Amino acid sequence: MIKIKGINRIGLYTLVRREIDRILRISIQTFAAPLISATLFIFIFGFVLGSRIKEIAGIPYMQFVFPGILLMNILSSAFEHTSSAVFFGRWIKSIEEMLVAPFSYIEMILGYVISAVLRALLIGSGILIIGLFFGAVAISNVPLFLLYAVSVATIFALVGILVGLWAKGFEQLGLLNVFVIMPLSFLGGMFYSLEFLNETVRIITVLNPIFYFIDGMRYATVGYSESNLLIGAVLIVGLIISLSVLVMHLFKVGWRIRP
Amino acid sequence: MVYAVKIENLVKKYDTGTVAVDGISLSIEKGEFFGFLGPNGAGKTTTIHCITGVARITSGTISVFGIDVVKDYRKARTKVGIAPQEFNIDIFGKVGKLLDYIGGYYGMRKQERKKRIAELLEQFNLTQYKDTAFQHLSGGFKRRVILARALVHDPEILILDEPTAGVDVELRHELWRDLKKLNKEGKTIILTSHYLEEVELLCNRIAIINKGKIVEDGSKEHFTRDGKSLEDHYLEITRRNDKD
Repeated sequence: MIKIKGINRIGLYTLVRREIDRILRISIQTFAAPLISATLFIFIFGFVLGSRIKEIAGIPYMQFVFPGILLMNILSSAFEHTSSAVFFGRWIKSIEEMLVAPFSYIEMILGYVISAVLRALLIGSGILIIGLFFGAVAISNVPLFLLYAVSVATIFALVGILVGLWAKGFEQLGLLNVFVIMPLSFLGGMFYSLEFLNETVRIITVLNPIFYFIDGMRYATVGYSESNLLIGAVLIVGLIISLSVLVMHLFKVGWRIRP
Repeated sequence: MVYAVKIENLVKKYDTGTVAVDGISLSIEKGEFFGFLGPNGAGKTTTIHCITGVARITSGTISVFGIDVVKDYRKARTKVGIAPQEFNIDIFGKVGKLLDYIGGYYGMRKQERKKRIAELLEQFNLTQYKDTAFQHLSGGFKRRVILARALVHDPEILILDEPTAGVDVELRHELWRDLKKLNKEGKTIILTSHYLEEVELLCNRIAIINKGKIVEDGSKEHFTRDGKSLEDHYLEITRRNDKD
């Protein structure tokens, strides 16, 4: 007879394994596409434009833009992972396999988040390797670099779960990415310094949470920052806690998954 | 007495305000082959969803072998296997892997899963389709996979929601043979079906639900008394209930 005491460890491992199998099955979409996209960004913004701009704050432009490109791919792959996994699970009702199994709602959430973070880190590692070829990589603080990568991936994995639960159709699934995440990423100082902006745009930029993620990642890589890192750290911790509480509540009450 | 399934005053009201199940009580004994009948929208699937955890219970209690399905859901869920009407499965997944994931969800170790899945693939003539994606199987084999999936963790209670819907006659007979065997081996089976001859053939106890309420509950003999078929009784009961 099956007995599960405490955490359903084998179940949780299986959830992560199933999700990794799923993304490997569609590896052109999940891995090749972001890697090609990142290569083009590094080439055009770092290599082509970089040869004209040379340096920002004494940092080669290629190395200045690289953390932003890396982070954008980390956060978008974490978001895409959970939003599509949850939405398709609801859409084809395969999520019922989890609902009838001996999982707590926290284990289900962990399964989604861990697999999303792993996917984001795999993409991030691939982009790092590509960046090495272009001489774009510099990591001044490895633990901080990993901390930023994992925590930002966690935030967007949780946001992806929310969107996956909320979306009633494919159009809604892509809304947040198109209208919020992508614009905020591009306007979050990925390609430019705050010094380039007038006062109004600078104020708008510092109100953009993604600015702090990119800036923090830039500090971990090239050791240069334009924001208050403490504000960034508080923002990250605050977002992880508040999003976790919200997602846990929605899973607990079964919003859109357990009628 | 500890029942395989005991439902007491179950009410399920959806957020839309629809009361799908309206205070039903049922007790199913271990080893019974229980037919759960009713018209479309009567509350059969909702009741099943409440037993398995797919739907939240509004009020009332459900226990399986004395274990509350809400308070002690982990333990309760290891005792129940469900083969739903719809193919709620990752259609791109390969049969072997799909079954393996389910074993993992229930905490089965790798060797244990491997052995159990090999047995089930053999039992349902699926061995040659182990590496075939679910979407590429014929309707009948898809049904077999869904049934095998419900049995991976060797549950004591098997719930089958329209298991032979859309299945050809030959396969239907094969499934009946498999189900009889499982019941003989000691599994408690709950079956919903619109094929009343199937229920009459397989079940030893039947309950009819209509508009969320149990309107008749008894042995197969009760439903086939006076020389009438189950279908005659069923129509009589549901029509009478519709008029009330």
